[in-house]
Amino acid sequence: MILSRIRFERFTAFDDLDVALSPGVNVLIGANATGKTHLMKVAYAACDITKTQIDFAEKLIRVFLPSGRALGRLVKRQQASSRGAAEVYRGKQKLRVSFSNHSTVPESATVTGLKAWGAEPIECVYVPVKEMLSNAPGFRSLYAQRDVHFEEVYADILDRAYRPALRGPTDAQRKRLLEIIQAAMDGKVTVKEEEFFLRNKQGNLEFSLLAEGMRKLGLLWLLIQNGTLLGGSVLFWDEPETNLNPKLFGVLMEILLELQRLGVQVFLATHDYAILKELDLRREKEDQIAFHSLYRDEGSGELGCHTASDFLDIHPNAIAEAFADLYDREVKRSLGVTVQ
Amino acid sequence: MTVLQERGIQIEFSGALNGRKFDDSATHGLSHCMKAVDFIVELPDRILFIEVKDPPDPAALPAHVKADYVKGLLSGAEDADFCYKYRDSFLYEWAANRTDKPIYYLVLVAFNRLTAADLLARTDALKRKLPVNQATPADWQRSLVAGCSVFNLAAWNKALPAYPAQRV
Repeated sequence: MILSRIRFERFTAFDDLDVALSPGVNVLIGANATGKTHLMKVAYAACDITKTQIDFAEKLIRVFLPSGRALGRLVKRQQASSRGAAEVYRGKQKLRVSFSNHSTVPESATVTGLKAWGAEPIECVYVPVKEMLSNAPGFRSLYAQRDVHFEEVYADILDRAYRPALRGPTDAQRKRLLEIIQAAMDGKVTVKEEEFFLRNKQGNLEFSLLAEGMRKLGLLWLLIQNGTLLGGSVLFWDEPETNLNPKLFGVLMEILLELQRLGVQVFLATHDYAILKELDLRREKEDQIAFHSLYRDEGSGELGCHTASDFLDIHPNAIAEAFADLYDREVKRSLGVTVQ
Repeated sequence: MTVLQERGIQIEFSGALNGRKFDDSATHGLSHCMKAVDFIVELPDRILFIEVKDPPDPAALPAHVKADYVKGLLSGAEDADFCYKYRDSFLYEWAANRTDKPIYYLVLVAFNRLTAADLLARTDALKRKLPVNQATPADWQRSLVAGCSVFNLAAWNKALPAYPAQRV
């Protein structure tokens, strides 16, 4: 059972938010500071604790890193004392955490629904905006031993990437996906003493010398090869377009759609038109895609979300609005002013 | 008032000095060897070459129909055709000594699901192909085309309210 709904009450930037999730691909769009990453981090934390058994509030602190690790700073800021809450649903199962804005430690939070929630572990991956594989050697031990100011998603993604390959032969569907990625990045990924390399006919190329976009494909290859991304798992990817040549967007979206067809639930936060359009052009009838548009209401000033299943029904669409403005200016320039 | 119609799309040109259907074998005369835009309209300060496309909605196409005009358009498959229609039309009009005003090329694809980003991408591609002024050689003394733009119906009516286009 995958994530079906997420609710916030006075949580971070949100006053009141209720989003129904697609079991397939969930695309989060919206201007900066509309909470796309926050939504993904809460959902990720809820999945991750089913495996790691870390307290939900503690995991939220680790992935959000509020100043002084004070949980209360995740409550939406207002003058009076208040409580914030986040709820994540899997069908009828609900995991809820609530805490006051005075909370400084995770123990002061109230978590309900944990027992039933943890009974069914969820494999999950969060790919953060900044690429980590090239900085991997030594990072995990540094993170484990020292209080370095890195959100835990950066350490977590390395844990997933370092997992050894699954035992036994690779099934046909995964093999096909791996071959698509291998063709795009011209090689396979190997790990030697915590260091990642792209291996092809020319030899081994260390990830620090590899284009950052290619490192992203390499990460995806590892996660599929080592069986982290299997049916029933959840993939969160924050701005996959960062440092990736737009020509590779198509390959990437095709792989994400294929993963969804294999039963992986996908969350994607993006600012890029080409990412949306690739999904729109490559989707098949059976694909389950929800476009969640996060926006700040002009009247109330609060954040809201409108969900659409069709690319053209996304509203408001900050990305399309930027293009509409560019297009209007281009037409004006092309035709001159006298026709206007 | 000049009113021109191509398939299901009609455009009204108030204030036009003249306007004619150009892609018409009865009047074009060289349709066996030259491509042609649909309309040529003369305004007081400029000439408009207009190409109109009214493709079927891909969603309404039967499952067995493989040719999807909109998909082809988005991938750039129509760019060359738009370009050749303009250039051949320009040559025809040049030979007839009717190119004494700046010429603007307007392509109307009457399919409103084309987004601003799609229209922008096709406009840029067409500008590169024609080519529009910025891309022409330094020793060209005259302009082949003053400007060009690709529209859907909504974008046309927003940019050119004096020349309303509608489905009839």
